[in-house]
Amino acid sequence: MNQEMKDDSILLKVNHLQTSFFTHFGEVKAVRDVDLTINKGEVVGVVGESGSGKSVTAMSILKLLQHPGKIISGNIIYKGQDLAQRSEKEMRKIRGNEISMIFQDPMTSLNPLITVGEQIMETIIEHQPLNKKQAKEKAINLLNMVKIPDAEKRMKDYPFEFSGGMRQRVMIAIALSCEPDLLIADEPTTALDVTTQSQILKLMKNLKGEFNTSIMLITHDLGVVADICSRIVVMYGGMIMEEGSVEDIFYRSKHPYTLGLLKSVPRPDMDQQSRLEPIKGTPPNLVNPPEGCPFAPRCDYAMKICTTTCPEHTYIQEGHRSMCWLLHEEAPKSDFLSEGDELYE
Amino acid sequence: MNYMNNENMLEVHNLKKYFNMGKKLFSKEPALLKAVDDVSFTIKKGETLGLVGESGCGKSTTARTIIRLHESTEGKIILDGVDISKLKESELKSHRKKMQMIFQDPYASLNSRMTVKDIISEPLLVHQIGSKHERMDIIENLLHKVGLKKEHATRYPHEFSGGQRQRIGIARALAVNPDFVICDEPISALDVSIQAQVVNMLQDLQEEMGLTYLFIAHDLSMVKYISNRMGVMYLGKLVEIADSEEVYKHPAHPYTKALLASVPFLDPQAAKPEEDILLDGDLPSPLNPPPGCRFASRCKYAMDICKKEEPLLKEIGTNHLAACHLL
Repeated sequence: MNQEMKDDSILLKVNHLQTSFFTHFGEVKAVRDVDLTINKGEVVGVVGESGSGKSVTAMSILKLLQHPGKIISGNIIYKGQDLAQRSEKEMRKIRGNEISMIFQDPMTSLNPLITVGEQIMETIIEHQPLNKKQAKEKAINLLNMVKIPDAEKRMKDYPFEFSGGMRQRVMIAIALSCEPDLLIADEPTTALDVTTQSQILKLMKNLKGEFNTSIMLITHDLGVVADICSRIVVMYGGMIMEEGSVEDIFYRSKHPYTLGLLKSVPRPDMDQQSRLEPIKGTPPNLVNPPEGCPFAPRCDYAMKICTTTCPEHTYIQEGHRSMCWLLHEEAPKSDFLSEGDELYE
Repeated sequence: MNYMNNENMLEVHNLKKYFNMGKKLFSKEPALLKAVDDVSFTIKKGETLGLVGESGCGKSTTARTIIRLHESTEGKIILDGVDISKLKESELKSHRKKMQMIFQDPYASLNSRMTVKDIISEPLLVHQIGSKHERMDIIENLLHKVGLKKEHATRYPHEFSGGQRQRIGIARALAVNPDFVICDEPISALDVSIQAQVVNMLQDLQEEMGLTYLFIAHDLSMVKYISNRMGVMYLGKLVEIADSEEVYKHPAHPYTKALLASVPFLDPQAAKPEEDILLDGDLPSPLNPPPGCRFASRCKYAMDICKKEEPLLKEIGTNHLAACHLL
């Protein structure tokens, strides 16, 4: 935690974030002690299965959690101010303006009763000192930018007249309308076809270059993060398991869960004879999560200590950390430490 | 995968499925949605054929027409030597046993008010297999096969996770001991780590029970991994079909090339495919599609002939068929 405070390249810093949902079944500890840094102009991928806490982390950053969800503790430092302490009124000035979000489902995140043009203009007028005419001009420009043909005409159309990929483009146009410093994209391509997915990813890459926006890309698809992210955070059971550069994660992973994920998807060079190696078991129940490491019940390398005490993060090198007891200096030497290096050979 | 004999499990000849969208005002002809338009392929016994394509390309409709959840408009469906496309419902029943389906959504495809035991025994009851006691044995055996415990038999679907529900769906499909199983996006609703569990199980079951699969998915790397041969569909047409390796290594059709290029690569340092292969635009409407090649509107190699004349599937290598005027 020492090397991160030094420069002003940090845009967002989440410290010890804990978020829970108070349900009938008890407290669901969706995010447990998450530390996260996003630098200016950086694309950070957050990877994990459903229920790993990646979306809740994003919602906590924007304070979009609804009852019964609540941020228990931790702070969210954005440009020097703690968002966790901001009032709803102050957050409204930040959302859509400085930090904006793209949601997974382009079918439900647009209002079906309002034309696409009005929905884009709404955000612009809310945050920028422009009149209706200027806002309209800007909205048309934005639609052109996200490559929607006939932008001026399509402004008057309703969301149902757009295809899934086009709707996601509209969402991106809205999200970028105020040139935010941070764009949180929560599974932006999961509901789309591969061909459309590659178009949207390409668009996001280009726009990132144009606006120098930082992007936090939440996804379960390792292929997507390999494509556009510079840094990857792997989450499981509400905690960060491993964090590192794309190369660290794909070629030098030092966490059994990350390795398990990489081994459970077919790689291009695999033939029919080689078998996938799935991770056994199912993700944990976060109502009263197990003591110790959340991954321990599914881990092939689990030791006695793993089930009783949660490990600390160990830094393998600058920027690459992993939360695993096997990296502790007193841990028995295990073959898994070199496994990540051999995966692609 | 060895072929004991060269018999075909399934032959599909010129299958068409048009949906009548009703007459438009002032028009004489009803609008036809050509979801599946003249598709032919065969699947050998013990083989897995993967079917890929964008949503709306007709891959699920093909599957549903084969299993006769939809009535085909035209064409033959020959299952194990018998044309089932025109059989009456009563004659069809005995053939239905040979062919089962696994559905995409493990949440919607199980009746939430039935116990696991009831769900799995329903096909047995329909086909009058076994006494009450024997059925229980079959169910326990099936649960064991798909990696569930026999205590699970009395529980309800909501007590299970997505992966476990998909296992129940697979157990139900296997209950009548079918030869041919259609898997319609069986893993796309599951988490990555669970997908591999289900795929491995499907492969084990194939070996154990000698199953033939038609595997539909949009995850190309998974389809390539699980299937022996692979068909690519575009707007109701089969545009290319070949061995999976061949499709991956030597794609012939421009659409196949574009589709492969848009699969995100799992290796950050691997050579990225050329950017300009990527497709622009969306799938056009299958309502009264234009004459000629259906891909012509998005194809950068499109020539004049592509807009006039429809390319036919032709052999361009061993077991490699593609439909394109360029070839």
